[in-house]
Amino acid sequence: MTDTVGSVNLEADSDRTIVTASDVVREYRMSGVPVRALRGVSLSVAEREFIAVMGPSGSGKSTLLHLLGGVDVATSGRVVFLGQDFGRMSVEARARLRLRKVGLVFQRFHLLPMLTALENVELPIAALGVRRAERRDRAASLLARVGLDDRLGHRPGELSGGQRQRVAIARALANEPAVLLADEPTGELDRATSHGVLELFQRLNSEGTTIVVATHDPELAAGASRHVEVVDGRIGS
Amino acid sequence: MLARYSVRELVHRPLRTILALLGVAVATAMLVDMLMLAGGIQRSFAELLSARGYELRISPKGTLPFDTEATIPNFASLMDTLAATNGVAGVGPVLASAVILAHGDGAAPSDLSVRAIALGIDPTEQGLFRLIDGEDPVENEVLLDQPTAEAFGVALGDMVEMRVAGGLDVAGRSAQMRVSGIGEFLYAARGDVPIAVPLEELQLLTGKLDRVSFAMIRVAEDAEAEAVRTELAGAARVEVVTLAGIVAQANERLSYFRQLALILGSVSLIVTSLLVGTIMAVSVSERLGTIAALRAIGISRRSIVGSLTAESLILCALAGAAGLGLGVIVAEYLETILSDFPGLPLAVEFFVLRPESLATAYVLLLAVGSVAGLVPAWRATQLEVATLLHAEEP
Repeated sequence: MTDTVGSVNLEADSDRTIVTASDVVREYRMSGVPVRALRGVSLSVAEREFIAVMGPSGSGKSTLLHLLGGVDVATSGRVVFLGQDFGRMSVEARARLRLRKVGLVFQRFHLLPMLTALENVELPIAALGVRRAERRDRAASLLARVGLDDRLGHRPGELSGGQRQRVAIARALANEPAVLLADEPTGELDRATSHGVLELFQRLNSEGTTIVVATHDPELAAGASRHVEVVDGRIGS
Repeated sequence: MLARYSVRELVHRPLRTILALLGVAVATAMLVDMLMLAGGIQRSFAELLSARGYELRISPKGTLPFDTEATIPNFASLMDTLAATNGVAGVGPVLASAVILAHGDGAAPSDLSVRAIALGIDPTEQGLFRLIDGEDPVENEVLLDQPTAEAFGVALGDMVEMRVAGGLDVAGRSAQMRVSGIGEFLYAARGDVPIAVPLEELQLLTGKLDRVSFAMIRVAEDAEAEAVRTELAGAARVEVVTLAGIVAQANERLSYFRQLALILGSVSLIVTSLLVGTIMAVSVSERLGTIAALRAIGISRRSIVGSLTAESLILCALAGAAGLGLGVIVAEYLETILSDFPGLPLAVEFFVLRPESLATAYVLLLAVGSVAGLVPAWRATQLEVATLLHAEEP
């Protein structure tokens, strides 16, 4: 399935809509000059979808992901996440919503190097005020789910790139988010490890996790159920 | 959990942490010393003056006790006035005069003669010394301080000679005195050789009959020192000052110590804030990507700022504790240097260790440290998360 320019949720085949971006423009100022990263993008993500957002570097993939997850807000247009308009929410309200409903995975993992894998996964659970014993159990079970039950006490520096990304994915899943947004999750990984991440995403998706992944990686994109091409700040076919 | 992260961050960079701890500890030590100095001398001086319970001092008009060689004439008449004044419970007259104290005739190597300050006192009413050994001096007797007795090699019952040091008409007069006791002279400065003799004896020897240098007045328990001072000042042509007045005048003379202490204390606080602020700014700058990621996954600003501020607080708490100890040690060393300050009684301390000084230094340090950590942390969380992530991701 492929979206067309400026259309909204053309062929999403699922039940509930998680997030909808409508005619979204994102403009930055760089050295005083306005730069349009997105130029009127519309996209709808339904529950249980696995979407690959593709496009060349600088096309606006990451910006789109940030807008869908409420990390950033649109200059114009609307992004509605589970019925809430990010543009009308305060910075902290968006942060609270992200904590509960959005799982984010970064190309460079961004794990806290001084914390163990288990503690890294515990972090977002702790931010919700969950008691230590419960959050430990949850974090351990998430790490087991991504195949790292034997690495709980390891710090990121003691893990391989693939393992670190798995920890990051477990952290993203910590609060059972409505959607997992992954920005170039295999960008720092070798082919074999990338394949492992794809398999993990496919498994998570088959278990019901909605995933949107921005990637250059054709193998990862091939594993997605829907593809969205972003070119020069617009969604193309 | 983020607090645990803060601790590990500090442990992870041992060299930076140790250097920061040392820097803050030294600045804290300086702050502690300046706080001890700022209030110490004033308090120490006041405690010294009130140690023997004489709340008023009478001296020749326009002078303070020990200030000049001027004397009060017609003391017997003044005593009558004092006796008639309400609230006066006791009078301790003092005549101070320079004398030569000698032991032996100069033939033996151990024979000595030194210039001393003889204090003619009434042994039943005096606030100048504490008796350590022996008895108060009566007729033809002298009381020495411990260093002088040791220097002369004399013991209780030994004889010393006291000669008048100046005055054309009395120069050369001398008297053989028996050492009656050893005392601790409260107002002696370093290098002074104080001795105590009966007042009448010194008056006779120096020709200053019926004269005293000053008198110490004990005020009755039910009387106010200020009220007695006012009454006496009106009744006699002498200078009457309360202890508070003397302390105030002394403070005025020593005010530059306090100013110096306040300036240096402020400098140490500024140095601490700059040091902690720089360290935290560098630390935050190195972790902008992590901070952006934490914000992106939904960790609140408050938690992140709290964690980074905790880091600077931990630094300051540890360094502050070390700095307090270092400050006390340095103060003891400085005290030995400043105790040579000319004219000040040895018993006056420049650096007085008070719990409130330590507590104030510690609280100020923690306050400065938390603000210095808070500012870069707060600024970092105000940056746009998306922009930071764009910058961090390739």
